[in-house]
Amino acid sequence: MSRFTLLKKAKEIGVITERYPYKPTKVPEGFRGKPEIDPEKCIGCCACIAACPPNALTSLDENGYRVIRIFYGRCIFCGRCVDVCPEKAIRMTEEFELTADDHEELVQEVRLKLVRCSVCGRYYDTERHYRMILKEFEEAGLKVDPEVLRRCPEHRMGMSAEVIGLRRVRK
Amino acid sequence: MIKKSIWIYHLNTGGCNGCDIEIIDVLTPFHDAERLGVKLVGSPRHADVILLTGPITRQSMEKAINAITAAPDPKFIVAIGSCACGGGIWYDSYATVGGIEAFYKILRERGVKPPKVIYVPGCPPRPEAILHALAYFKGLASKKIKKRVFVEK
Repeated sequence: MSRFTLLKKAKEIGVITERYPYKPTKVPEGFRGKPEIDPEKCIGCCACIAACPPNALTSLDENGYRVIRIFYGRCIFCGRCVDVCPEKAIRMTEEFELTADDHEELVQEVRLKLVRCSVCGRYYDTERHYRMILKEFEEAGLKVDPEVLRRCPEHRMGMSAEVIGLRRVRK
Repeated sequence: MIKKSIWIYHLNTGGCNGCDIEIIDVLTPFHDAERLGVKLVGSPRHADVILLTGPITRQSMEKAINAITAAPDPKFIVAIGSCACGGGIWYDSYATVGGIEAFYKILRERGVKPPKVIYVPGCPPRPEAILHALAYFKGLASKKIKKRVFVEK
């Protein structure tokens, strides 16, 4: 065995160190990076907030807006919010360079308008969610008075199915 | 931020060891943090930067305070992983302090000046993400994230 076996081997293999901070790197397929909410698609149903294990996603109703807030500092990148989102508004991106100086930088906020109850006047649901429910009733072939859905769940409770109009339209 | 070589001290405050394995990955020949001048040291008295992992459990809090006060100024902390950045999945547990923000509140109450912190979220973060934070110290990389707010009209 020659003295240069190791040097020969090293020359054969070459440099394996990646040049990361100077050159960009690739992530493997299916990598779960920073989850991002598409604010145009989000309807504010809060399904992701119920599914989030560390409560990185939170919601708050204030001043006529529903604030959906994601804090990446607590996110564990499990992707459950992506699974439960009915509108496919959340997706996992391939971004992982989340270095930040301040924890406020690690926040994404989506503020959606709320609708008022026609009886008591309190905010109870987002406008987009209300419109989606109306559309779903139409698609299912159910006739429903839009003014009924304008009521908050409390004031809707006393009404019978007949008044609400949940009867299948006969063709 | 730091012109000289960064000497790092690895401080685990009750994490699951996922982030610690990623830190070891950074020091292996494949990622090779030493080409940026990064050196792992065995004592906080030699360190410029403390790599803090874990959610800071009540058991480890006193030791963590000792290690941080032992490091000479100017010192920096890099909070690695979701646990260190925001408490992670244990943010409201009785057994943990709940992340670096709550820990800094305790430090201020005790009259210790908390050092500047850099956040590296991830569960665990990729070795490249840790390298990105170390390169950010040297001015080789720039921040890629900022707060985004959308208001419906």
